[in-house]
Amino acid sequence: MTYVTAMIDFLQGVPWIYLILSLQWLFLGYFICINLAYLALNFIAAFCITDYMRDHRADYLPKGLASYQPPVSILVPAYNEEGSIVSSIHSLLGMGYPEFEIVVINDGSIDNTLDEVVAAFGMVEFPEAYRRRIDTQPVRKIYASSRYPRVRLIDKDNGGKADSLNAGINCARYPLFCTVDADCILQPDSLLRVVRPFLEDPTTVAVGGVVRVLNGCTVHDGVMEKVDLPRNYLAKFQLVEYLRAFLFGRLGWSPLNALLIISGAFGVFKKERVIAIGGYRSKTVGEDMDLVVRLHQNLRKEKRPYRITFVPDPICWTEVPTDVKSLKTQRMRWQRGLIESLAPNVGALFDRRGGAVSWLALPFMFAFELLGPVIEVLGYVTMIPLWLLGLISYQSFLVFLFLSLGLGVLLSTNALFLEELSFQMYPRLGQQIRLFGIAILENFGYRQMTSLWRFMAVVHWVFSFWQKSHWGEIVRDGSWRRQTGAAKAQSHAPTVL
Amino acid sequence: VSFNLDILVGSDPKIVCAFWVGVAVSAMTLITLAVIIIRRQVNVHRDRVHAKAIAFWKAIIVATPAANIETIPRLLNRDMSGFLEVWNDVHEALRGATTTHLVRIAHQLRLQKRLYKRLALGGFHARLMAIIALGHVKNKESFDRIEKFIDDKNPMISLCAARGLMQIDAGRAISKFVPHIVSRSDWSQGSVATILDEAGAEKVTRELCEATLQAEVDIAPRLIRFLASVSPESAAPIIRKTLLASLDEQLISTCLQVMTTSKDLDCVRPLLTHTRWHVRMQAAVTLGRLGIPGDEDRLVTMLSDAQWWVRYRAAQALMKLGFVKTSGMHRILESQTDVFARDIIKHVMAEEAMGKGAVTEEAMIKRVVTHRTVEAAA
Repeated sequence: MTYVTAMIDFLQGVPWIYLILSLQWLFLGYFICINLAYLALNFIAAFCITDYMRDHRADYLPKGLASYQPPVSILVPAYNEEGSIVSSIHSLLGMGYPEFEIVVINDGSIDNTLDEVVAAFGMVEFPEAYRRRIDTQPVRKIYASSRYPRVRLIDKDNGGKADSLNAGINCARYPLFCTVDADCILQPDSLLRVVRPFLEDPTTVAVGGVVRVLNGCTVHDGVMEKVDLPRNYLAKFQLVEYLRAFLFGRLGWSPLNALLIISGAFGVFKKERVIAIGGYRSKTVGEDMDLVVRLHQNLRKEKRPYRITFVPDPICWTEVPTDVKSLKTQRMRWQRGLIESLAPNVGALFDRRGGAVSWLALPFMFAFELLGPVIEVLGYVTMIPLWLLGLISYQSFLVFLFLSLGLGVLLSTNALFLEELSFQMYPRLGQQIRLFGIAILENFGYRQMTSLWRFMAVVHWVFSFWQKSHWGEIVRDGSWRRQTGAAKAQSHAPTVL
Repeated sequence: VSFNLDILVGSDPKIVCAFWVGVAVSAMTLITLAVIIIRRQVNVHRDRVHAKAIAFWKAIIVATPAANIETIPRLLNRDMSGFLEVWNDVHEALRGATTTHLVRIAHQLRLQKRLYKRLALGGFHARLMAIIALGHVKNKESFDRIEKFIDDKNPMISLCAARGLMQIDAGRAISKFVPHIVSRSDWSQGSVATILDEAGAEKVTRELCEATLQAEVDIAPRLIRFLASVSPESAAPIIRKTLLASLDEQLISTCLQVMTTSKDLDCVRPLLTHTRWHVRMQAAVTLGRLGIPGDEDRLVTMLSDAQWWVRYRAAQALMKLGFVKTSGMHRILESQTDVFARDIIKHVMAEEAMGKGAVTEEAMIKRVVTHRTVEAAA
C-alpha cells in the first residue's frame, strides 16, 4: 500500500500530471459545446416537424394532375442480395407513383442475385445504347424485363456501391433518380412524399427522407404490415439512435440549407446536377455524404440558388445488424466514410461565401462527429485512471458522469418527443415506456462501445488513409420478412452485404 | 466509497453547479417523458372520437336518401371535424358528378354559419377544412369571406382559398386567381392545373391568354402549359407566335411539348437544327407526335446527333409515325452507316417489341400491393 501511495505522491508531483488534470477542463468545455449544439438542433427540428405536420397532416390540396409529377428512375445497387432483391423489386413495383422505372445494378455479385432477378422478372438481354457519362467498371450486359416494362437490370464488374450507382445514373432515363438499398422497404407513397419538395421549390436538387429500423416489424411480400419494436437489444438501441440521427440530426440542418448527409439507403437527386459533379466518388465508403458535400460546394461555387432538403416522413425501412461484429463493421465504415468525405473539404471550413455549410455544418461535423469519438474515448481513458489514482475527487468524477449520462438520456428522450410530435409509429403506452427504458440503457455501455469503434476507425484511417476502403460484411437475419409461395424459401438464408 | 450530499455545501462551486445542472437535466427528461405519455393518451382519445364521428357520418352521408335528409341527426360540435373530413372526401370522390345531395345535407345541418366561425377562430387544420367545405357548398355569400385567404403566406391556405373561390364563382374569381398563378411560385402546379381544369375552358381561357401574352419569359412556360391543358385551341396561336419570335430556349421547349396541331409544323422543322440539344430533342418528339409523310427523313438525320437524348427521341419519333412501320424501321436501320444511329434504332425497336404485352402483369402486381396496403392500413 505504501508503494501505491508513494507512486501516487510521485505522480502528483510530476508537472505533466497538471497538464492531464487541465485536460478535464477541455473535456468539460467540449462536452458543454456538443450538448448545446445537439439541443439547438433539437429545438430547430421540433419547429420543423410541427410546421411540416401542420401542412402535411392531411391531403388538403386538390390532387395534382399526374402529368405534373416528374418521372423518377429508382436505382437499386445490389451485391450478393439473392435473399432480398426479388421482394424489394416487388415492393418497388407497387409504388403509387405515376411514372417511374427501376434500374437494378448487379455489382458483380458472387451469389445468385443475377439469376434470381432474371428468373423472377423474365429479364432478357437488351441492346441498350449505353451512355457512359460517368466512368464505371465495365458493364457486361443490360437486361430488360419482358413482363415488367419498368424494370431493367445492369450486370457489371464489381466496383462498389458508388460505382454501381454511377452505372445506374448512366442508364437512368428520367430527370430525377432515387437511390434505394436492395434490403430496404419503401412505403407505397414514399416517392410521392419525397418528390414533393422538388414540386414546391424548383431550386431543390436533393431530398432525403427518414430511414427507420425494420427489425421487429412484419413485412408481407414487400408491404409493411405491422410496425413494432425489435426484440434484439442491439437493434433496440439502434432504433433510438436512428430516431436521434434522423429526427433532429438531419432535420435540424434542413431549414439552414446545410444538410450534409442524405442516407444512401433512400434519397432523391436531380440527375444532371449529380452528373455535373462527376457522380459518386468510388474511392470512398461514405459516398452518400461525399456526394452531398460536393453538391453544396459546387452549387455555391457556381452561385446557383439551390436547396437540399430533408422530409421527416417515415418512408424507408431498413434492417439493422443484430450482432456485435456486423455492427462494429458498419460503424467503423460509417466513421471512415465520414472522414473520407470531410478530409477533402477542410478548405471549405469558414469559407467567406460558404454560408451555413461552411460556418456551421462542416465545423460541427469536424468538431463533433469526426473528433467527438476521439475526445470521448480520451476522456474515459484519462478520467478513469485519474479518479482511480485519486488525482480528481470521486465526487467530481461521479457528478460529471451523472451529468453526461443525464444529457445523453435527455437527447434520446427528446428524439422520442419529436417522434410523438410527428408520426407516432410506436403508439402503445408499453412501447413508449420500453423506448424510454432503452433511451436510458443505451447510455450504459452501448454508446461507449460505438464511440470506441468510431475512435478505432479514426486511428485506422490515420494509419491507412492511402488504402482503398472496403465495405466489409454485414449479416442480416431477415426475420421481418413474411412471404408467400416461392419467395418464402429464399428468405431463410441470411444475407451478406 | 460513499457518495453523500456533502458536496453541495463544501465542494468546488463548479462541481456543485454541475450537480444541479444534472438534476435539472434529469427533471427535464422526466417532464418530457410525462408530456409524451400525456400527449399520447390525449391523442388516442381524440383519434378515437374522430374515427367514431367519421364512421357515424360516413354511414349517414352515404346511406341517407335524398328524400329523408330532414331526418338526419344534429351535428355535435365534437363531431364537426370528423364530419367535415367525410363531407369533403365524398365531394372529392364525386368530382364532376352532382353533389346537390351533399349541399342539402350541409344546409340541413346549418353548416355555413359554423364554417364561418371556424374560418374566423379555428386553428390551421380547422380553417383549411372550412375553406375547402365552403368551396364545396358554393354559396356566393362565402366568396368575400374566403377571398382574403388567397393572399395568405401559407401555400396550402392560399391555394385552397383560390380553389374555393373558383368553385363558388369562377367568372369572378379568375381575375384574382391568374395574377396569383403568376406570382406564387410556391403553389403546386399540378393542383393549379386541376383547379383550372375543374373550372372549365370557357371560364379561364381569356384571362390565361392575356396573362400568358404579358408574362415574363421565366413565367410564360408555366402559363402556356396551363393554357394548353385547358384549351389547346386557344393556346395554338400563342404557341405559334412564341415559336416564331421567342429566343428563350426554355419557353420554346415548353411550346413544343404542349403543341397539338400539325398546322404549325413549319415552325417546328427549323428547330431540328437548334443549337441547344433539348430544343432539338423536343422538336423531334413533336414531329413524332404530329409529323406528316416527309418528316421521317428529317428525323433520320437526327439519328446521328451528338446528343444521346436527341438520337433516342428521334428514333422513338420515327416509331411513333404511323406511316413508318416496323419494316420501315428495318430499312432505316439497314441504311445507316453511323454506329450510334444503328445502336439507337436497335435500342428503340427492342424497347417497342418488349413493351407490348408486359403492361398487364405489372398493373396486376400494383393492384395487389395497393389492395394489401389498404388492408394493412385498415
